[in-house]
Amino acid sequence: MYTQSITRCHRTAFLLLIDASGSMAEEIHFHGRKRTKAEAVATIADDLLFELVERARRDDGVRDYYDIGVWAYSGNDNISPIIASEGEMISVEALSRIPTLIRREVIEYRLPDGSHSLREIPTRCWCTPRAEGLTPMCEALRRARDRMAAWCAEPQNAESFPPVIFNITDGEATDSEEEDLRLVARQIRELSTADGWVLLINIHLGSDNEPGIFFPTENEVQRCRHRYARLLYELSSTMPPTFDNLIRSEKGAAFRPPFRGMSYNASATEVVTMLNIGSISVKTE
Amino acid sequence: MIPPIRLFRQALLAPDLMLTTLCEARPETDAEGHPLLHRTSRFAECTIRRGPTRELLFLPLSPSALSHIERTVATLHRLQSDSLTSYTILGDELHWFDAAGREQRCDLVLQTLPEGCSWNEALNTSSEERLLLALDHLQEEFHRLGFTHNNLKASNLWWNGKRFIPLRYHDARISSDHRLDDGDFDRLRTKIRASFSGMYEGDYTMYGDCDGMCVHDGQAAYSTARETPSDGHLWRGNLFEGLRLVEDETGYGFVDGMNRTVIPSRYLWAGDFHEGRAEVETREGMGLIDRHGEYIIPPRYEVVDYLYTESRVRVRLNGRWALFDYLGRRITEFAPEEVAITRKKNNKTK
Repeated sequence: MYTQSITRCHRTAFLLLIDASGSMAEEIHFHGRKRTKAEAVATIADDLLFELVERARRDDGVRDYYDIGVWAYSGNDNISPIIASEGEMISVEALSRIPTLIRREVIEYRLPDGSHSLREIPTRCWCTPRAEGLTPMCEALRRARDRMAAWCAEPQNAESFPPVIFNITDGEATDSEEEDLRLVARQIRELSTADGWVLLINIHLGSDNEPGIFFPTENEVQRCRHRYARLLYELSSTMPPTFDNLIRSEKGAAFRPPFRGMSYNASATEVVTMLNIGSISVKTE
Repeated sequence: MIPPIRLFRQALLAPDLMLTTLCEARPETDAEGHPLLHRTSRFAECTIRRGPTRELLFLPLSPSALSHIERTVATLHRLQSDSLTSYTILGDELHWFDAAGREQRCDLVLQTLPEGCSWNEALNTSSEERLLLALDHLQEEFHRLGFTHNNLKASNLWWNGKRFIPLRYHDARISSDHRLDDGDFDRLRTKIRASFSGMYEGDYTMYGDCDGMCVHDGQAAYSTARETPSDGHLWRGNLFEGLRLVEDETGYGFVDGMNRTVIPSRYLWAGDFHEGRAEVETREGMGLIDRHGEYIIPPRYEVVDYLYTESRVRVRLNGRWALFDYLGRRITEFAPEEVAITRKKNNKTK
């Protein structure tokens, strides 16, 4: 399970669900500077998209290894793709051809002597920050479920590495009860290809001082008193053993699997790390 | 810990900060200044320059990628052959700080790119007989050394004018079973003959050369087109970060790799771009510009000396010196004596 190499014959899919509700206008510290959560999440999504594109690049161009979707949810059940495309998901090859803005991002590096240095790095920018209205997370998950069910049902995807859904949010859903969320998350996790079940990874972008947890074990989450952390734990997929070594290298060798695909109150940079773990573990031909 | 390609790219753009021994390296970039990255099954790679030397720098994409080549690297040091080029693991070469503020390090792999040209260019500049003889010589050398490349194809061969030098030893083995490449040699001979008989039209995919560990071919990454000089300038410099300094009748300016004007020639003098900044001089004085020609430091100073490895700028006005940061903010008062700039002092960029 979860061992299928990703090739043009065995493609997979990545879907990013991004909370674009009004609270994403709050400011947090990200890359050493104050930004809104919406800006931070857009940067995170751009970093992940860059990684996915580069991992599909060969000498003959970007190969069509996977479909990618980036959906924002906000307002009254407003779920829309935020990368320009005709459909809800596009191939990574099509994604690489989308004209993008080049953001001149100033990045701060810490030098070994403790001082800092600034550098301006040109970065492709697919995503535009948004923050408005309510948090229709449950509806976003339902649509993700339906889209991934259709994707898994396509005969050419039957043996593929299963799709991975990243749900990046800063708060609780405003369109449902917890039971509704549990139900739709379970339905997503029960979708599968021959290589494994669809992975649902929930990422909470927090701003308070409560200690964060990521890829938690059962023991860790039991020690966490926050109700929403436990709910996210229940919603998230158990990470397959393929990812265990990478997760332990991040968390420490003392932590033992199984790990759940979630974070609570992780800083934005931890979120980036988590996303990269996922993409690194995936093999391509 | 293995970093994402995103960090490898950052290291190529800021080698003095994130690379240990290759801090002077400069990546080959596209016209917009983005490093030309490629990847194979187990490595991402970029061509870099250090002075006159060109090299291939590889980032392993998984821990197993390095363990796969360790024995080859160790054995290659003992082999004496003009037909192979150096292939080295640089321990802890890439360093960065993770989300928790802990320093992380990763090994990189370096291979020297000899003087010469790609397979494509070799077909255009050498005779069929010469190329076939060179393949024969390489095959004999492999047999003599007991070297098996295991992924021998056009894009993994470099032509130095006399012989073919194989590149990317990621799947190589030193063993007695050295005939595993023989089939690939035969296919390469067929390509050469097809090329010179007119059957070959430049599309290697028809010969099945695009599968497996296919890295950038000559046309894609080593094209001479980007370097071809064009008319219309009195003088032209090298391409730095996608921008080339040129001199015209009206002064100095910048063009991109396609010789399109990016910053009009309006300066009395200008320096090359480094980390998105270039020093310029106008009749009013010296200043610092960004890639759009916008002034980061206005041109009203006697001297503007940008130290790109420090992200700082020494500025002189009325004989007094001050330090500015990367964003053009003055961080010290103008002082009578030149301000000493070292990274270790307390004046930090932040």
